[in-house]
Amino acid sequence: MFNALFKRFTSQKPSKNTAKKRLQFSLIYDKLEVNDTTLTDLQNDIVAVISKYFEIDKDALELKVKRDDDVSALVFNTPILQVKRKRAS
Amino acid sequence: MEGKVIVVTSGKGGVGKTTATASIGAALALEGKRVAIVDMDIGLRNLDVVMGLENRIVFNIVDVVLGKCKISQAAIRDRRIENLFLIPASQSDNKDVLSPAGVERVANDLRKEFDYVIMDSPAGIERGFQNAIVGANEAIVICTPDVSSVRDADRVIGILYSRSLTPKLVVNRIEPSRVERGEMLSYEDVLEVLSIELLGLVPMDEHVLISSNTGTPLVLQNDSKAGHAFRRIARRLNGEADLPIEIPSHRSSMWKKISKTFGFK
Repeated sequence: MFNALFKRFTSQKPSKNTAKKRLQFSLIYDKLEVNDTTLTDLQNDIVAVISKYFEIDKDALELKVKRDDDVSALVFNTPILQVKRKRAS
Repeated sequence: MEGKVIVVTSGKGGVGKTTATASIGAALALEGKRVAIVDMDIGLRNLDVVMGLENRIVFNIVDVVLGKCKISQAAIRDRRIENLFLIPASQSDNKDVLSPAGVERVANDLRKEFDYVIMDSPAGIERGFQNAIVGANEAIVICTPDVSSVRDADRVIGILYSRSLTPKLVVNRIEPSRVERGEMLSYEDVLEVLSIELLGLVPMDEHVLISSNTGTPLVLQNDSKAGHAFRRIARRLNGEADLPIEIPSHRSSMWKKISKTFGFK
């Protein structure tokens, strides 16, 4: 009984915290997974914006969702070929 | 004046959708409204047994949609609660027998005859679910505090939003002692994950099984905590939006009364 008490007050984290964290992640993932066209649209939009400032290799770029223990991140990877010269407007 | 069509749905099965539909419908009737409960789970009807009306079925919702009978012929009047009617599902047909257009037309007809039309949706997000939501003006999502139910609820909420329905949430089968021990998601956790408006909190209650055993309305049992919670949900739906949501607690009501008297929380 002492053991149980000890466990309760020290090491054991409530399982509901784990449940909540796992839920929050899976919901983000579900939504990203569901819609492939959203990701493609997003990629095209990002390319359009970056292309205003940099010349990029459009074939080499990749858009990924990375998942760590605490956060998930949208990672956009592209080689920059050249910085565009800003024109005075 | 036209009534409201409210769909009760959950995504996942077995979270208490049918009990919730029957109880909310019965409670609205006790508030003096004219209520039709419609079982949209074609091929797997259950509302009739839960409500104790299984022996009185003549026609069903499929007959109504296909024009084989009038609404008044299919609606079974509950003899215990005034102004409460059930339109049962068909047990022999397939879900594909109904077309969304047909259901929508009947839903609009029902609105003219009843203050509230409560649609009990089947589990899942396929054809049967789509048919259940097609004529709805409002939506209630039921979930329990477990990961699979909350995840499915989120999916359903997404679909309802895409149909311009803004659902409200009922968290069912809350076990306060387990919430306190950190073994169960609290309603705050569920709300934070789903971020929608809360309609009510229903505690785990042994009376639910017992009342379905006998086919008697849960909301007529005064000592049922779940029944009490559903009656409050119905009052909130029925215009009493300011009625506070009671948070299930595991203290006995005696202790609650004592602590209230002494000003403890």
